[in-house]
Amino acid sequence: MLDFNVSLSATAEPDKLWDLIIIGGGPAGLTAGLYASRYKLEVLLLEKAVVSGGQLTSTQWVENYPGFPEPVLGTKLAADMEAQARLFGLRIISETVKSVSLTGIVKEIVTDYATYRAKTVLIATGSSPRRLGLPHEAEFSGRGVSYCATCDGPFYPDKTVAVAGGGNSAFEESLFIAKYAAKIYLIHRRDSFSADPILQERVKAEPKIELITNTQVTALNFDTDTQRSISLINTQSGAESLLEVDGIFIFVGNLPNTTLFEGQVELEQGYIVTDRSYRTSLEGVWAVGDVQAGALRQVATAVGDGAGAAHKINKYIIDKA
Amino acid sequence: MPMLDEKVMTEVKKALNAMRKPVTLRLYTQAFECGYCKETHNLLSELVQANPLLKLETKQFETDKEEAAQDNIDKIPAIAVIGEKDYGIRFYGIPAGYEFSSLLNAILMVSTGIVKLTDETKAFVANLQTPLHLQVFVTPTCPYCPQAVILAHQLAMASDQITADMVEISEFPHLAQKYQVQGVPRTVINEKWSLDGAAPEAMLVAKAKEAL
Repeated sequence: MLDFNVSLSATAEPDKLWDLIIIGGGPAGLTAGLYASRYKLEVLLLEKAVVSGGQLTSTQWVENYPGFPEPVLGTKLAADMEAQARLFGLRIISETVKSVSLTGIVKEIVTDYATYRAKTVLIATGSSPRRLGLPHEAEFSGRGVSYCATCDGPFYPDKTVAVAGGGNSAFEESLFIAKYAAKIYLIHRRDSFSADPILQERVKAEPKIELITNTQVTALNFDTDTQRSISLINTQSGAESLLEVDGIFIFVGNLPNTTLFEGQVELEQGYIVTDRSYRTSLEGVWAVGDVQAGALRQVATAVGDGAGAAHKINKYIIDKA
Repeated sequence: MPMLDEKVMTEVKKALNAMRKPVTLRLYTQAFECGYCKETHNLLSELVQANPLLKLETKQFETDKEEAAQDNIDKIPAIAVIGEKDYGIRFYGIPAGYEFSSLLNAILMVSTGIVKLTDETKAFVANLQTPLHLQVFVTPTCPYCPQAVILAHQLAMASDQITADMVEISEFPHLAQKYQVQGVPRTVINEKWSLDGAAPEAMLVAKAKEAL
């Protein structure tokens, strides 16, 4: 069954002073955009990808977002959120933000193509997959190393792959890769997993997936045309071994996308510090979703954040006027 | 049952309202040994209903050899997106999933003439003396891929020296072998150079300079 996605970048008047600019079009940013548009704020959303939805777009199934007793495709949920926000007039521009100047009364957001100005800014930049930190990991990204199962799973029909990680992403995505690959080794450095028990049960019931615990990946032996392998070390015994695989998927947590904001808003281990009203340390700047310190980092919490922040921002703009 | 349901068709019509000049989708197809030729033909037949400025021209890959050679078509299904002239914008394999957005984007770009590139990139392509061929390998389920495809197509639009292909890799597995594609998007420049991921414009241009 083929589906057809319609996502096109909007255009914006160059010299306009926007009420609100949202940076990032994941569930948090899109929901804030939807609410802010309904409040009739002049709002612009900047999203680096052509397709909005953030990490939702690289998630196969979402099972814990209320209202969908049958699992919903991450891509569908993302596309629907985007369409709904656009319906209320949200303008989404597909441009990557290069720098920001947030300390003044008028905030400036610079992309490759334009400088946008706004009274308030909402940071919804989310997080990106963390790398394992192995030698040559970046070099082999796209040549055997992947961080996106929905993107690259189809490259491993009847092949053997490793998955590194022990959380929800590693478990969910292993189940997805099992649709293609013949054999999956799920490798985790501890002896227990942080994935939800229901996912653990499902993975254990999938004969294609073999769990390897107390084990760390130490090297990627991907530079030959012959059989690829990864080097492993047992964290308990110290025993080293080689495992023949055609590729490895890495799901070992996320890092916040906050480089742009360093030195302007207060960060805590890279994440943005917010109060209960989603305010950052800077007046006129809010943050929602995964990028916040202490967030649960779920779709359900992200959309709640987005709605709440839009409400606070609307009030702020009314009070200032 | 139509490929584009009513909801998608409404969105498409709205998006294509921005069209200014006519655009021809020239489809190369054949009746046999082509995985998605029929589906691609059905898709385009429905798509051209969305706007009177949009036209479908169907060529047979086997028999219309001269045209295929002229358009540099070497595999099917292939779509050449042609406006006032041929800018070298191609789609190989069905533009489904997220790549449907890339197709709409190419149509709008060719129709309006609006290209979003930085001044540095425009200066680079304006002075290009040698041909540059970009092949962007994608899968329809890859959300990061349209960005790479749209960027490549914009460069093709901006310079007569540049041609840019979207290649839906699952339909051309021998190319996955040939170019060692195991992750998408991957942009291959002049056969030899490649760039993984949805790279920013400046990074692609830097890579293209290496390839010259």
